[in-house]
Amino acid sequence: MPEGSKMKKPDVKVVLLGDMNVGKTSLLHRYTERKFKDTVSTVGGAFFLKQWGPYNISIWDTAGREQFHGLGSMYCRGASAVILTYDVTNWQSLAELEERFLSLTDTANQDCIYAIVGNKADLTDPKAQLSHDSIGVSEDQTQCEEEMTEPQILSACPTPPASPESLSGLILHKQVAHEDAVAFYGRILRYKGLEDKSSLPPEKMCFETSAKTGYNVDALFETLFDLVLPSILRKRNENQESPTVDLEVCRGAGGRRARSTCC
Amino acid sequence: MEAGTQEMPAFMTNRDEDVTSDSWRQHRKHVFVLSEAGKPIYSRYGSEEALSSTMGVMMALVSFVQSGDNIIRSVYSELHTVVFLQKGPLVLVCVSNSRQSEEQLRGELLYVYYQIISMLTQASISRIFEHKKNYDLRRLLAGSEKILDGLLNLVDSDPSFLLTAIHCLPLASSLRDSLSQILQKAITPNLVFSILVAKNQLLTIVQEKTVIEDARLEPADVHLLLNLIGASSAFQAGEIWTPICLPLFNPDCYFYAYISYLDPPECTVCLLLLSTDKEAFYAVADCKRKIEEAMVAQNALSLIAKAHSYSVSQVGVSDLRHFMYKPFDVPDTYRQLTQFTSPEMEAPYSSEEEKMRLLDLYRYMHSRIHSSTRPLKLIYHVAERETLLAWVTSKFELYTCFSPLVTKACAITAITKLLRWIKKEEERLFIRYPPKYSTTPNPSKSSRGGKSDQQDSTENGFLTLL
Repeated sequence: MPEGSKMKKPDVKVVLLGDMNVGKTSLLHRYTERKFKDTVSTVGGAFFLKQWGPYNISIWDTAGREQFHGLGSMYCRGASAVILTYDVTNWQSLAELEERFLSLTDTANQDCIYAIVGNKADLTDPKAQLSHDSIGVSEDQTQCEEEMTEPQILSACPTPPASPESLSGLILHKQVAHEDAVAFYGRILRYKGLEDKSSLPPEKMCFETSAKTGYNVDALFETLFDLVLPSILRKRNENQESPTVDLEVCRGAGGRRARSTCC
Repeated sequence: MEAGTQEMPAFMTNRDEDVTSDSWRQHRKHVFVLSEAGKPIYSRYGSEEALSSTMGVMMALVSFVQSGDNIIRSVYSELHTVVFLQKGPLVLVCVSNSRQSEEQLRGELLYVYYQIISMLTQASISRIFEHKKNYDLRRLLAGSEKILDGLLNLVDSDPSFLLTAIHCLPLASSLRDSLSQILQKAITPNLVFSILVAKNQLLTIVQEKTVIEDARLEPADVHLLLNLIGASSAFQAGEIWTPICLPLFNPDCYFYAYISYLDPPECTVCLLLLSTDKEAFYAVADCKRKIEEAMVAQNALSLIAKAHSYSVSQVGVSDLRHFMYKPFDVPDTYRQLTQFTSPEMEAPYSSEEEKMRLLDLYRYMHSRIHSSTRPLKLIYHVAERETLLAWVTSKFELYTCFSPLVTKACAITAITKLLRWIKKEEERLFIRYPPKYSTTPNPSKSSRGGKSDQQDSTENGFLTLL
């Protein structure tokens, strides 16, 4: 139905994958609505359009339930970025990514980028327990993550809690270490045959986030959006060049080669 | 399944309930689903793990009776009725002190079964259990408990389920027609149903022509769809794309449902488009864009917002407090879409308890009318705080509730007036002629499309139309 395509055409597609209950919908909700909500299980997949500068980014939030696996490859088709989400307090959720979800990404773009995201960091990590609600904080988040400058975050927090425990009451045992995620990222690159190439470094692509407090959530999405920009631009350029020109180029090249072998 | 239990979030209070407590025992209606191997699949209250021994006893009862070449149907105690329903490899059990009839409770269990089928299909459930008898079906249903919880709450509070009929929002027929036309114009290949819902009531439904010839859309399937909308509204700005099976239409295949609200952030008007093509999301989403534009152009959303259910006082019959009317003679619709109409529940039935009490009275009347041993055509029942009259003819099924002091003669006159009023308002109260469209690809295309569809259906059991 080409005549009906009045909708803003999405430039790129980002897909959230991961086992049920790791917090995919909550992450997206935190990013788009700036708040945390205990959501009910997603049915199938939910499609969102996000304006990022002049670009339209489409985001598929998918259900983690095995029941919906049949549609996984449809959600991933042509994706430019896939966010593989696990729960830092649940080792199995990382294992599931490798066992069940990685193969769904086979339909994604060749140059698709992958982010590994350990959500629910607030349950294991005091620095992730602080509120990151205000927009101003999001600017500092990448820095916070790297330098762990706690006073900086505290200053942005209107009423800093006396102790981290006062927020959630207890610190859970962290089952998935950052290194496990980094190792998994390495295996993804190998699986995709992207090793050694100019692929993105794991320290840039492995995140720990908290949808509950907002910790690292903006950093995750904004890093990804920035990274998919080249793919948007490449796609736009491809579209601008008319197919006839492409053919001419091919024929010209082929012709030359033919001639050269002839001589 | 360790992962599943570990992840059960704290807010799912139904699951957290202590199954040894008195309050657990006192629930009005328990529903359990287990596999033939006795593995727990679902419990309305309390976690399945905690109830595994209880469910073991249930399965023992089922097997014991089965070993004598019999089927256990129900157990009665002074306070409780226990009803069993066996469907393929699943056993469903209801333990109720609601005084509902066995048939009604079994009907409700059937809804639970259908809801499970709508998520997994009958074919895949049979396949799974043929393959592995002690499979833990919660692996596939985990996260869907809320959909089943929601269904059971609806079954208790919405008479649509009791009547197996659809409640549509009263609407000027001109407005309903123009909404139907908007839906009729926004089509794409393989689109089979376009459904518009407001305030959880049907506004209009447009169906693919050949679908209507082949089979009709059963009210129960529509109820499951409405329940799905209710359960998936967590994140209302997005557009949902999900497989769903309509068990009465075809229990073994999936449709693909597109669900989107047309009026965010209020989210009262919901569009549901069903396609048979799992890849059709973007084409179907385009249909929504068209529908949205047409509705803006016609100012339809604000007109829908003004539509609301009606008050019984509009009927103008004193002593009449409430009624439910299910016609069998509305042209064209009975065969295609069984509907009923009912006013708002107003004082003295405005509190939740009183609403439930009235519904229970209706359920009692319904069970007497539809009794398998001694069915009735007419029943006049003087209850403590009201008087009820139920009447079934070849043309309608009617339940009325009067103030307690009404006389029999008064009630009969009132019903004559009521029937006259409904006849007059028929156009507004019901969807008279469900409109149709044709979206099946033309034959030249379908040979190619058909092949790939076929492949799909053998692999995944997806529905093929042609």
